[in-house]
Amino acid sequence: MFLSVDLATRLIDVLGALLLFTMLLILASGQLFRAIYAVAAQAAFLGVAGAVLAAATGNVDLWIIAAITIGAKAIFLPWLLLRVVRRVQISREIEAVIPMHVTLALAAAIVVLAFHLNASLGPVRQAITGNALPVGVTLILIGVLVMASRRKALVQMVGLFASENGIFFTAMAISQGMPLIIEIGVILDVVLGALVMGILVLRVRSSVDADIADLESLKG
Amino acid sequence: METAVAQAFRTAAQAALLVAAAPLVTGVVQKWKARLQCRRGASVVQPYRDLAKLLRKGTVQADTATPFFRAVPVLVLAATVTAAAMLPVLWAPAEGAALPLGDAILLVGLLALARFLLAIGALDAGGAFGGMGASREMTVGLLVEPALMLAVFSIAVAGGTTDVGLLAARRGSLAVAWQAPDLLALFAMLILALAETGRIPVDNPDTHLELTMLHEGMLLEHSGPGLACIVLATHVKQLVTLALVAALFLPLGLARGAAPAELALALAAFAAKVALLAGFLALVESSYAKLRFFRVPQFLGVGLVCAFLALALRVL
Amino acid sequence: MTSHLLWIAPLVPLAVGLVMLLVRDRRMLAALDVAGSLAVLGLTAGIARQVAAHGAVTALGVFRADDVAVIFLLLVGLLAVAVAVASVGWMRHEVARGEMREDRLRWYFALVHGFVATMLVTVLSDNLGILWIAMEGTTITSALLVGFHGDKHGLEAAWKYIIVTTIGISFGLFGTVLVYGAAAHAQGGVFAGAMNWSSIAAVAHRLDPGIIRIGFIFVMVGYGTKAGLAPLHMWLPDAHSQAPTPVSALLSGALIKCALFGIIRFHTIARDACGPEFSHGLLLAFGIVSVVVATPFIIVQHDLKRLLGYHSVEHVGIIALGLGFGGRVGTYGALLHVVNHGVTKALAFLVAGDAIGRYGTRDMRLMKGFLGIAPVAGTLLLMGAFSLAGTPPFSIFVSELLVVRAGIAAGRFVPVAVFLAMVVVIFAGLVHHVGQMAFGVADARAERGREAVTPILAMALLAAVMILFGTWIPFRPDRVLQSAAEIIVG
Repeated sequence: MFLSVDLATRLIDVLGALLLFTMLLILASGQLFRAIYAVAAQAAFLGVAGAVLAAATGNVDLWIIAAITIGAKAIFLPWLLLRVVRRVQISREIEAVIPMHVTLALAAAIVVLAFHLNASLGPVRQAITGNALPVGVTLILIGVLVMASRRKALVQMVGLFASENGIFFTAMAISQGMPLIIEIGVILDVVLGALVMGILVLRVRSSVDADIADLESLKG
Repeated sequence: METAVAQAFRTAAQAALLVAAAPLVTGVVQKWKARLQCRRGASVVQPYRDLAKLLRKGTVQADTATPFFRAVPVLVLAATVTAAAMLPVLWAPAEGAALPLGDAILLVGLLALARFLLAIGALDAGGAFGGMGASREMTVGLLVEPALMLAVFSIAVAGGTTDVGLLAARRGSLAVAWQAPDLLALFAMLILALAETGRIPVDNPDTHLELTMLHEGMLLEHSGPGLACIVLATHVKQLVTLALVAALFLPLGLARGAAPAELALALAAFAAKVALLAGFLALVESSYAKLRFFRVPQFLGVGLVCAFLALALRVL
Repeated sequence: MTSHLLWIAPLVPLAVGLVMLLVRDRRMLAALDVAGSLAVLGLTAGIARQVAAHGAVTALGVFRADDVAVIFLLLVGLLAVAVAVASVGWMRHEVARGEMREDRLRWYFALVHGFVATMLVTVLSDNLGILWIAMEGTTITSALLVGFHGDKHGLEAAWKYIIVTTIGISFGLFGTVLVYGAAAHAQGGVFAGAMNWSSIAAVAHRLDPGIIRIGFIFVMVGYGTKAGLAPLHMWLPDAHSQAPTPVSALLSGALIKCALFGIIRFHTIARDACGPEFSHGLLLAFGIVSVVVATPFIIVQHDLKRLLGYHSVEHVGIIALGLGFGGRVGTYGALLHVVNHGVTKALAFLVAGDAIGRYGTRDMRLMKGFLGIAPVAGTLLLMGAFSLAGTPPFSIFVSELLVVRAGIAAGRFVPVAVFLAMVVVIFAGLVHHVGQMAFGVADARAERGREAVTPILAMALLAAVMILFGTWIPFRPDRVLQSAAEIIVG
């Protein structure tokens, strides 16, 4: 135990605020690269949060999870996304389907809702460090908002990863984290899913020269 | 408990310091910016020279302008300097001060008043660029001012007062009691500071290209001493914004008495804080491009949402 | 009791799939496919016997099979065999028509077996984390299968499928995390089995209702997306219509049921933690919305496979309704409907694949006189369609009747009325569509060749189960269903 519980809680709160801020940057970013860098930074903060919790609880598994998180989500996945972006050479401007001020207002509403929800919970809140639960809920929902408001495959992937960062944040902060093997399995799934999505994007780009998220021939 | 006279004197001294130092800060930012771009850049005292030059010149005025136009620069400067007097620069005020000098809402209101006067003056002159600049500046103001209020409120809720000086004093005594909302409020303030100081990516202080300028557009019709007043007011506004950020988020090293050693320390601390923020401005200016105007609300929207969240997190 | 079959069962299709990657010959692949699927069915039957004899069995601390799991296991095993048998003839036809490249067949078969393996893990896992991982695994393997043809529509459907279900299922992970957090809090610490459903269910009545409520909503949305419950069904018609036909049969027959299995697991936890009303209400709401949303799309649909896709939305809604009405009868009906719909929908997709192969189109307006050119498959088509519409003596009639009875017994008259009205409308729509297709004179361009043996064999197997369950439920399945309903009702 290198950290007192009180200090760990405060650090997690601060990291939660950083995650929220990076989420807003992803939501508002007008360029694909910015969104990718923002999600990488978010995953790095997530890794730091894992390390903080590991130091606070003395749980060795969390150190490993933090390291894997940084390796897979802060380095590998952004690298993969950047590679796909370079390969497909799409326009890098992000067009929003919903006007930006509406999305931002929705994001603010989501945060308020999540924190309000958290305040309504009973003694079980003790089992979760700091504000990890509302931050997790917020990240998931804003991630969905990103996916719904952008019609560009890679931005949708960024939104998905951001959502998953939220889940990991809450999972780490809940009673010493999930078992190591489960966390590893989940990260493996995330990476495999990202690879499959990358393959699909590249295949569509090579065969019909369009953004896969922009295809809408299947209806009704 | 200090007397009202002492408090008034202290406030005036701080305001004078801010006004005197404001052009220097602009000069420093310009110098650092030049260095970051591998240029030598003008001397840091160049803004003083510019002001002196402007004061020596005569005034030319558009035929369409009313006498009110002549009063605008002085009013803008007065509003801005009054705002400067609200801030704790060297001293942390004692609890229960005699005069309520330093209310954050008043401070933000005075800055808004200065902005309003400037816009009205630009419209009064009747020039096309003035009108356009005013319209754009007010659009930005529409987003910046509420966000600024929200960020300040977020800190005020934690401190239990809206007096900037007392906020700084109370937070300073809590060591660095940083919580999640403070961080979000800080991010909001940093984004807003870029807009309030009229810098890239919102505005470009170096340009007189008609399509890109916001703030400069409103200054075009002014000349001579009048222009000098407005330019000085712009410098002061920049320093006021930075000092506000410093007072709310880095409330360390404020003096409590009048001992010279303590004052020297406070001055050094203030210089360091402003230098840090000036460095931030220079860095952002050098590494980003100016946003197209219709992207600006998006950028400021992030600040607005951050400020809103900072308040929401504090209350919930 | 521990049983090694639990971990062997998913390992077999995985190993068969890996071996297939080394094989290039089509006949050899088909033989491996059928043999592997038969092995899966055998293993699931073995697990069912053990469960019948000893009650719930476990393995490795993370796998567990009880009566609920047995129902889903047998369904997966049965459909795997039916699809494998049907694939023999279907694949020959596809390769002959140039729809499928022979050198890519091994990838196809290997992915199908990987898909089956992940579904088996989903159903067998006791650990809720592994349940989630396997569920996401099904998405990854089946997304590649949905886009296997590689044409524009297939890739679009695959993208929509993977992106919607992945984000949906991540809601499920969040719900799992919350439930686990509440359980760890209630159990006063973390231990080896803390994430197991069996240990969480044992302390469920002591869990904090507030957080379980939030968790169950997330799970319902997450696994509900995967199950195709409206309004989260956007991916389903696209994926079902664009996937190769055997994959459509597995998606509709087995996969969405596995997602329901996840919901059922969490439903039992939520029932004890915050009373049955909460999860019942949520299930009812999703169920009724699914039935209502699917109806108009079924009426106006012209694409045969999309029609069947929307039909899956409706039937998943009916299962959710049965679970939501609750009580022994409703739960029994819902579980029976899982089996009935799985079998019938797989049959319908296999027949549809045959018809599409003959007419070269999926537009039902262009398919006429199917009964004339393929009498056996045509008869099976009519049987499947009438069963889907809920006509006796086919099995779906029985389970729908049970669901309605449970609804009336529970006093939920409005949902029952809405449900019945929609079923009537769907009946009319379906009979119209299928009647148009089965009767009349076939277009000259339609292929009139002899009917392939293996698909007919597979379809006949499914039809036999369908009629059997419609007329008389044998003693053993009845007992399994009853004790499974017992577990869910508590």
